[in-house]
Amino acid sequence: MNLSQAIVYFLREAFSSLVRSWKVSLVAITTITMSLFLSGVFLLVSSNLRQLIEGWEEEAKLVIYIEPDATTGEAERLQSHLRDAAWTSDVRHVTAEEAGVRFRKAFPSLGELLEGWSKSPIPSSLEVLLDRNTLPAPDQLDSWLDQLRQDSAVSVVDDDRDWLRQLEAVVYAIEALGMVLGALLLVTAVFTISSVIRLTAYLYRDEIAVMRLVGATEFFIRGPFYVEGVLQGLAGGIVAIVFLAAGHALLMERYADSALSLLTVKFLSLSELLALMALGSLAGLVGAIASLRRESLGQTAETPEWQEED
Amino acid sequence: MIELFSVTKRYPGGQVGLDEVTLKIEAGQMVFLTGPSGAGKSTFLKLIYCEEVPSSGSILVNGRNVSSLPRRKVPYLRRTIGVVFQSFRLIPRKTVFENICYLPRILGLSGQEQRQLAYETLRRVGLAHRMKAFPLQLSGGEQQRVAIARALMNQPEILLADEPTGNLDPELSEEILRLFLEINGQGTTVIFATHDRDLIQRVGRRVLTLEGGQLASDKVLPGKLVDTSDDDSEKSAGVE
Repeated sequence: MNLSQAIVYFLREAFSSLVRSWKVSLVAITTITMSLFLSGVFLLVSSNLRQLIEGWEEEAKLVIYIEPDATTGEAERLQSHLRDAAWTSDVRHVTAEEAGVRFRKAFPSLGELLEGWSKSPIPSSLEVLLDRNTLPAPDQLDSWLDQLRQDSAVSVVDDDRDWLRQLEAVVYAIEALGMVLGALLLVTAVFTISSVIRLTAYLYRDEIAVMRLVGATEFFIRGPFYVEGVLQGLAGGIVAIVFLAAGHALLMERYADSALSLLTVKFLSLSELLALMALGSLAGLVGAIASLRRESLGQTAETPEWQEED
Repeated sequence: MIELFSVTKRYPGGQVGLDEVTLKIEAGQMVFLTGPSGAGKSTFLKLIYCEEVPSSGSILVNGRNVSSLPRRKVPYLRRTIGVVFQSFRLIPRKTVFENICYLPRILGLSGQEQRQLAYETLRRVGLAHRMKAFPLQLSGGEQQRVAIARALMNQPEILLADEPTGNLDPELSEEILRLFLEINGQGTTVIFATHDRDLIQRVGRRVLTLEGGQLASDKVLPGKLVDTSDDDSEKSAGVE
């Protein structure tokens, strides 16, 4: 039998076994679906968050609040200094009045807080847009910002990148949690597939023994079980993707206007979907290999029921 | 064809299966292996088809030392040896055709080739008309014929039979025995393990007697029953 005939034989035997033992196969497929679905949810959320962060990073800016006592000359010197930096693409002066208007627009109910002051409580500022193409190394940028903070005309330096870094840490945490939970569930799935294949091998031990008796190699005896494991894993992956796609579509439809939609803008990429299916198949194969170790499948052309005395 | 040199088989519990057995079986011979229960008959056969490994000594099958045959090469040896058991070892959920076609399927024969080979082999044992039956729909004698057909599918050079008539009444036993004689008549070496001395007396041929794992005697008995290889098998099995 050549390789293509062997593959056809393995597939036929594996499909036949899946159909015959569909109940136990369903258990294996369900556990792998659950683990890959959960991994997919975390992947979906983290990849969308990452995309959001990348978008925000594009718009990230520095806000340099000017000391209320600083003179116009000092403010202009500061503005000029900022413009001279190679990594700034735009520097815009926001006056205290303009800042007050923005505040009232953003927080209409808090507008009265700005009333009654002899001088605006919100300082004027310089909004600096950074050019991502010419940004120096983070250390160099931080040292530049530290120098700015030492400037007598500077009150506070607000760096958007600070909270983006915190958000990135959250994404890392989500990814790590997803990986840990996904891995735990995947291990469970591997054990389930392993048990299911071992049970199948036990149910067909008489056939295995006959195959050994007539001269079947281990490759032909074990091949269908390996393929069965891979098919169970692959089926689990496909079902998980179907659920993910359905869940994603539902969220997009029902929560299009809420903040939740920000996390589900983009569905998984083709390579991520293929990776999920490959992961399922690999888990199935590992489960099958684990279940058919020599000590569990044996090497004999006899079953305990067939043992005959001399 | 088959040679044993001082072969001993000890099982883990200390039980001796075979003890210093040396003998030679020529190609094309029909040999009866007899002795009481526990004498070592099954062990003898298992050592030949490599189900067991001898504790010491060497076994040559067709000039190849099978006592040190690597595990991965055992399947290829088994394809040249047919084995038949007392309990038939048929798969009840499979048809006769499926039961005998394990090896052809593994060897990659097409469906048409499998059917043709199955038909021809079943015809040899007189069961061509029961190809689609399930084992439990067959009589004991018919089930044993299916088991023999399975053993013959790859036209083995050696046929080993471990008490093949143990579950059959005397009439069916003789029928099965005639089949073995016929197969032997076509050139296949047959080793027939049985404790049924009457059966052996009727046939004759070379008889190896094992007792406590040792070869107690090796003699040729004259017999009356001769093989019927010239007869059509379907006819001898009473099938039209």
